Amino acid sequence: MPTGVFLVADPWVNWDWLSTHIPLFVAALQEHLTLTGIAIVGGLALSLPLGVAAHRWGVLRSPVLAVSEIFYTIPSIALFSLLIPYTGLTVVTAEVGLIGYTVLILVRNVMVGLEGVPADVIDAANGMGYRPLARLLRIELPIALPAIIAGIRIATVTTIGLVTITALIGLGGLGQLILRGFIENFHTPLVVATVLSIALALIADVTLAGAQRLAVPWARNT
Amino acid sequence: MAFLGGVWQWLSDPAHWSGANGIPQRLVEHIQLSAESVAIGALIALPIGILLGHYGRFGNLAINVSNVGRALPSFGILVIAFQVFGLGDFPIVLSLTALAIPPMLTNSYVALREVDADVKDAARGMGYRELTQVLRVELPLAVPLVMAGVRTSAVQVVATATLAALISGGGFGRYIIDGLAQQDFTKLFAGALLVALLAMATELSLSWLERVLVPRGIRLLNAPVSSKAATFKTA
Amino acid sequence: MNLKTNSWRLLVALTALMVVASCGGTTPGTTSKGTVTVAGFNFPESSILAQVYGQALAHDGYTVNYKLLLGTRPIVTTAIKAGQVDLYPGYAASELEFFNKGAGEATSDPAATTAKLNTYLQPAGLVALTPAAAVDANAFAVPQATADKYKLAKLSDITPAIASQLVFGAGPECPTYKFCLPGLKSVYGLTFKAVKTLDTDGSLTRAAFKNGSIQIGLVFTTDADLKGLGLVVLEDDKHMTAADNVVPIVRQTVATDNVKAVLNSIDAKLTTADLVSMVDQVANQHKDADAVATAWLQQHNYSS
Repeated sequence: MPTGVFLVADPWVNWDWLSTHIPLFVAALQEHLTLTGIAIVGGLALSLPLGVAAHRWGVLRSPVLAVSEIFYTIPSIALFSLLIPYTGLTVVTAEVGLIGYTVLILVRNVMVGLEGVPADVIDAANGMGYRPLARLLRIELPIALPAIIAGIRIATVTTIGLVTITALIGLGGLGQLILRGFIENFHTPLVVATVLSIALALIADVTLAGAQRLAVPWARNT
Repeated sequence: MAFLGGVWQWLSDPAHWSGANGIPQRLVEHIQLSAESVAIGALIALPIGILLGHYGRFGNLAINVSNVGRALPSFGILVIAFQVFGLGDFPIVLSLTALAIPPMLTNSYVALREVDADVKDAARGMGYRELTQVLRVELPLAVPLVMAGVRTSAVQVVATATLAALISGGGFGRYIIDGLAQQDFTKLFAGALLVALLAMATELSLSWLERVLVPRGIRLLNAPVSSKAATFKTA
Repeated sequence: MNLKTNSWRLLVALTALMVVASCGGTTPGTTSKGTVTVAGFNFPESSILAQVYGQALAHDGYTVNYKLLLGTRPIVTTAIKAGQVDLYPGYAASELEFFNKGAGEATSDPAATTAKLNTYLQPAGLVALTPAAAVDANAFAVPQATADKYKLAKLSDITPAIASQLVFGAGPECPTYKFCLPGLKSVYGLTFKAVKTLDTDGSLTRAAFKNGSIQIGLVFTTDADLKGLGLVVLEDDKHMTAADNVVPIVRQTVATDNVKAVLNSIDAKLTTADLVSMVDQVANQHKDADAVATAWLQQHNYSS
């Protein structure tokens, strides 16, 4: 910031202030994780059946993909704001948006995962007498699991970033500290919250990458 | 439905088509911010990704940079950029460029890796030198995936540029941020619609560009695999 | 153990982990008089006032939640009308001119202004309590250089000719806020060269003054840093702004006699000098709004 705009010099991170305000960041992290967790769990709950349906009934495939791509172009702040008259300045507003974006990511991965099940495996399963639902649950979805976890990975990292934007509608976890740093022109919460958000996302990514590897000990994943 | 009628009225109001806050002015601002960011990002990301992919080095880094890119909170980045550089377009373009680089870098790396080893061998056997090999043989084959990365970046930059209004930037984001502040949902919706339309137009024009760039022979050879890494959302 | 089972267990475990992560900490149950959610506008003074009111209520035995930096007046009033928040620290004249859609009924008398305000709040399920002596009104500042150049000391010194050379900066709520652009136009006849959308007396406004992109901007009368930044507040000699005394706006269902008593006793002690001091500590010295509020409350013995 060009000097002379503010009276008091403000270091990028005031370690004294930080050390006395750890609970503030812990609370923000908790809220951040809660918002993210709800979005991922809700997103999975919706995209598994939706992805299975789109896979089963090919006619649904194009519309589902088309709707996802259009939704993707809508800036999240616009989506959250437009929901306000209906769901208010609440967690519901944030989650409708966040779950929506999560579903867009996951449904695609569920579809791709299911499409990746080799035809002969399906054949063999049918030959062994599996009925469609049992085949889906015990053969197809487990084989699709790596792709699904890859999707959860991307969705989690993306959601952690999008949650900061919900600070503009009164939520936001770490986003609240970014907002405070912005409005009060106070660097420390701004910088630390941004770094924590990035760190949280990267830790989640690495953890889920590990889970992805555990899910398929027989295959290498990128 | 009355609401959508209101949005239509807002969009067709001539007052909203002139002046500093008019649609044409905001369109120009939005395109300028987005195009600058994607262009600069491409200038940085494509050469690096292409070279790394050609030589097959630092693959993990190239692929994981996309994950890092997704992890950047655009709101935080924009505010920090403002705190460092003050007002104006520079902090905005800087932030958007940082967000634009990851998908383009990863995609161009993967694109070059996926070029058939036999083709590369043949080129070397024919006496192509390194740079010529990259330019004449590998790049044309890699264009579809590279362009997919550029498209992904561009669409997300157009969407994220809306947040620039938070640090006094222009573009369609002004309608969204001001609409939220004033609780004017008509203006807000109109702004979101305009951004979505611009994003789709960006997608379409870059698809057209890809068609122009991919040599006819290769286009005929491969059914266009729309390998969209559309899983990159930063705002 | 076959791989299919392993994979399913893994998916279940992951989901469980997500669910557990979703469960935030739960606060131990305490016998409380009820829950109140306090909102604040998107500038530091509002965070301080929200904390003052909120902590006074908490001290009296209520469970208080905060939604600070929630947004502009349109955003906060939407939230309170919808019941998402129960209380916010308003400013009498500004609230009146918001709820009466700029009809121009606010005067320099806080009691009369608040009474008029309540006629509009009543049907919306809200009520304004007793205004404090503390006032924070909109003000308009120019850089010293601009004041010298055009010889400006009061707002009526700005002629239309001068105005057409000045770029004006304020927050996005300004074009429809009576004590901002509409008031400057109707009372002083001012139309500026251009209007830049910045923030509500925050860092964007100050940065714009500094880099010369605006020559006149909205500030607050409780700002302590203006002189040090080389900014001069122009006197509102035609009294465009009115009695912007701090007054709690509460939802009627939450405004029990006890709540009213607590908040009114706080208002009875709150002075403009208090505001200036508290805002200076938070906005310029980076103290925490809640700590500053606690210090003030302790000094004044809360609502006793």
